[in-house]
Amino acid sequence: MSELDFVSPVASGALSASGGGIALEDLSDRSKVLVRAGRSTAAGTHLKVTYGHSRRRRDGTLICGSRPDEWTLIADPGQGAELLASLPDEGFVSVVDITHGRAMFRLSGPDSVDALAKVCNIDLADDMTPDGAVFSASVAKVTCDLVRSDVADRRTYLISCERSFGRFLFAAIADACAEFGIDVPEDISMH
Amino acid sequence: MIVVPCPNCGPRNSSDLRNAGELVSRPDPDTASLTEWRSYLYLRENPAGWVTETWYCRTGCRRYFTIERNTATNEIRDSENS
Ligand SMILES: [Zn+2]
Repeated sequence: MSELDFVSPVASGALSASGGGIALEDLSDRSKVLVRAGRSTAAGTHLKVTYGHSRRRRDGTLICGSRPDEWTLIADPGQGAELLASLPDEGFVSVVDITHGRAMFRLSGPDSVDALAKVCNIDLADDMTPDGAVFSASVAKVTCDLVRSDVADRRTYLISCERSFGRFLFAAIADACAEFGIDVPEDISMH
Repeated sequence: MIVVPCPNCGPRNSSDLRNAGELVSRPDPDTASLTEWRSYLYLRENPAGWVTETWYCRTGCRRYFTIERNTATNEIRDSENS
């Protein structure tokens, strides 16, 4: 799959507030692999994290426990084949490259929590969803997988959804960010 | 808003879930009479009080689970994976 050129569903790449309080970027081109396996299989043992948690593998891959007995692996663009090959596949295990099927955005900055709270009903407080937390929820009425993955203490959320909802979701999140200083481009403005 | 406790995801707004209705046991299709089969498909107790029901965690873990809910007060006790 990785030999295909990736085409993002989103045209506008990155939006940010001038004060640095919030930024929204399109990360749809990141390699994403979905694993379904029992926890007792070799893949389950290798991936280790349970539902709701994430960890970084030594090669930099973010391993997210995205549902019971289900994991999502996220890595740099063009790594799909390497990710697939990096997993033991003995037993009842399903490993699928979903890079082209999912859109993914990064919402970061101290104001990101207030912007996200406008469109997502999950408790985003540090004690409920700390750095590393993985959860699924409705974001602007789109079912999404979310990971809190702070970068150097900057609060950061990775938000992914089905590719076909990507354009809408990006516009909806940008709209929620507008009051925190993001200039929403005309072509995706919801007003 | 009804807060429903998913055994995997914790307390969630009921709008994130789907109520799959009263828990009923499926009769053996080889031996059930037509009356028993019809009753399994269509008839429910629908009490104003405690009922055991199945919910589907639509936006969260995508698992089915059962809870006991009081339909008169929406008080909820016990939730477990089904
Ligand atoms: Zn759940």
